[in-house]
Amino acid sequence: MKDSCSSISKRLEKYFDNEATDEEKSLVGKHLLSCPPCQSALTSMEGIRDLMKGPVEEAVQKEDFSWVWQKIQREIRIKERPTRWEYFLSWLDRPSLFQKRVWMPAAAAIIILVLITAQLLLKKTPSYPDPTVVVYTESQTHNVMVYESGKGMVTVIWLFEGPEKELPAS
Amino acid sequence: MSHEEAELISQCQKGDQEALKEIFDQYHKRVYRIAYGMVRQREEALDIVQEVFIKLFRSIRNFKGKSKFYTYLYRMTVNTAIDHTRRREKIPPLSLDEGKGIQLSEEVESRPDRILLHKELKEKVKEAMEKLPNDQRMALVLRGVEGLSYQEMAEAMGCSIGTVMSRLHYGRKRIQEWLKDYVELSDLRAGHMGSAPIKEENGE
Amino acid sequence: MRRRTLSPTLIFILILLLFLFSTSFAFAQVQTRVRVVYASNVGAIIDPLLGDLHNQLRSVFSFTSYRLLGDVSIILIGNNPIEVFVHRGRSIELALVEKHRDMAEMKIMMRMKEVPILNTQVRLSSGKTVFIGGPLYEEGAAIIALSANF
Repeated sequence: MKDSCSSISKRLEKYFDNEATDEEKSLVGKHLLSCPPCQSALTSMEGIRDLMKGPVEEAVQKEDFSWVWQKIQREIRIKERPTRWEYFLSWLDRPSLFQKRVWMPAAAAIIILVLITAQLLLKKTPSYPDPTVVVYTESQTHNVMVYESGKGMVTVIWLFEGPEKELPAS
Repeated sequence: MSHEEAELISQCQKGDQEALKEIFDQYHKRVYRIAYGMVRQREEALDIVQEVFIKLFRSIRNFKGKSKFYTYLYRMTVNTAIDHTRRREKIPPLSLDEGKGIQLSEEVESRPDRILLHKELKEKVKEAMEKLPNDQRMALVLRGVEGLSYQEMAEAMGCSIGTVMSRLHYGRKRIQEWLKDYVELSDLRAGHMGSAPIKEENGE
Repeated sequence: MRRRTLSPTLIFILILLLFLFSTSFAFAQVQTRVRVVYASNVGAIIDPLLGDLHNQLRSVFSFTSYRLLGDVSIILIGNNPIEVFVHRGRSIELALVEKHRDMAEMKIMMRMKEVPILNTQVRLSSGKTVFIGGPLYEEGAAIIALSANF
């Protein structure tokens, strides 16, 4: 009997849950006819189920769900409102930026700007391979001497007060 | 999935709120049963229902039809309900007044100790359920309240059938343990409480 | 409807910003360092603050003593002149004439007590120095070292 109860108890829940195979149903059914402990176990499972289910069914019967639907509708409307970031992105309206009537004039304006600024940029590009450092000098009060060392490493512009004064050169 | 349901889902995926309303009308009670079975509180259960259908509307585009729609909905309900139970603080037991609504026979009402016992039993079952881990509690609710098959439960809970059976087994075992010191388990059947045994006892 | 009117506005703002950004390159800038050195034959003081200048000075001049009197960096933008007062009533006015990739041409006007004494135009590559000095006074001379960085 005990061994039989032990093997049946493993199937008893499946039997209770209506998930047992036909063979299992037959085995358990026959066993229950002559086993009060297993009958008791089955009854307790039924009792627990009823005590669980009862209050739930009562709650469902009592409830009016129409206002629940109204709340859901309201929440969906609120959540459909874009966030600030989404609003900003929509303000950029990126898809419409790719419309011809938008990007063509924009591209034309950018090209014009590039052409204008290119002149300024290009002006900077020529390099002077061996530039003369001193372009010009003039003085109405002094004599001026320009000295450039080899390879243009040092350039000196010197002012003299008179022909008798000399540059203290090395 | 029926053609009508597939059409309804398709419309809902396009953002049609009328389609969502129809889905709501079909399924809201099932969702509420699961929610209430888990949390045993009206307001919280209604919050869960609301949250489930809002989530459904926002995520239904992800439903590809590989599973049945109601298991997809149940899965959402299970996850939402478990999230709620994790978030909420421990709720003190309901007062005995919450047990209103039970229609007992006159004979029972004349036996105040029996009325109290029934209400207390419901409280005890509720307390026992609340002590259970979420996954075991959900298993008992899906099976006992909603009557899902093992396969459907596995899909809703995102686990194997073996795990479903294990959760049911241990959940039931724990509840039996907690209740056995309080009342004879053979007396737990609602049928016994309402009429027959009492009249028999009266007849003694 | 609102989106249609805003988008061209946004595009206009973007183009304007691009224009401003591009035109900022039109205003060339050259950082110019002006150092004033008093060179004399009194003593043999080589001011450590002269640093790199000392070797250049020694390669050209035979003074025994070099002392840094002043050091200032200015930024020449466009052709806006900047006047720097260097020493004993002497000032130099610098203005950027042209800027190329590796050369900056600047105009230099030196004044002594408001009287122009030198008008010159030099081309400097980045890091190079030009010395403007004289006349001699006392036992030395003030030498202005101009260098550019860009």
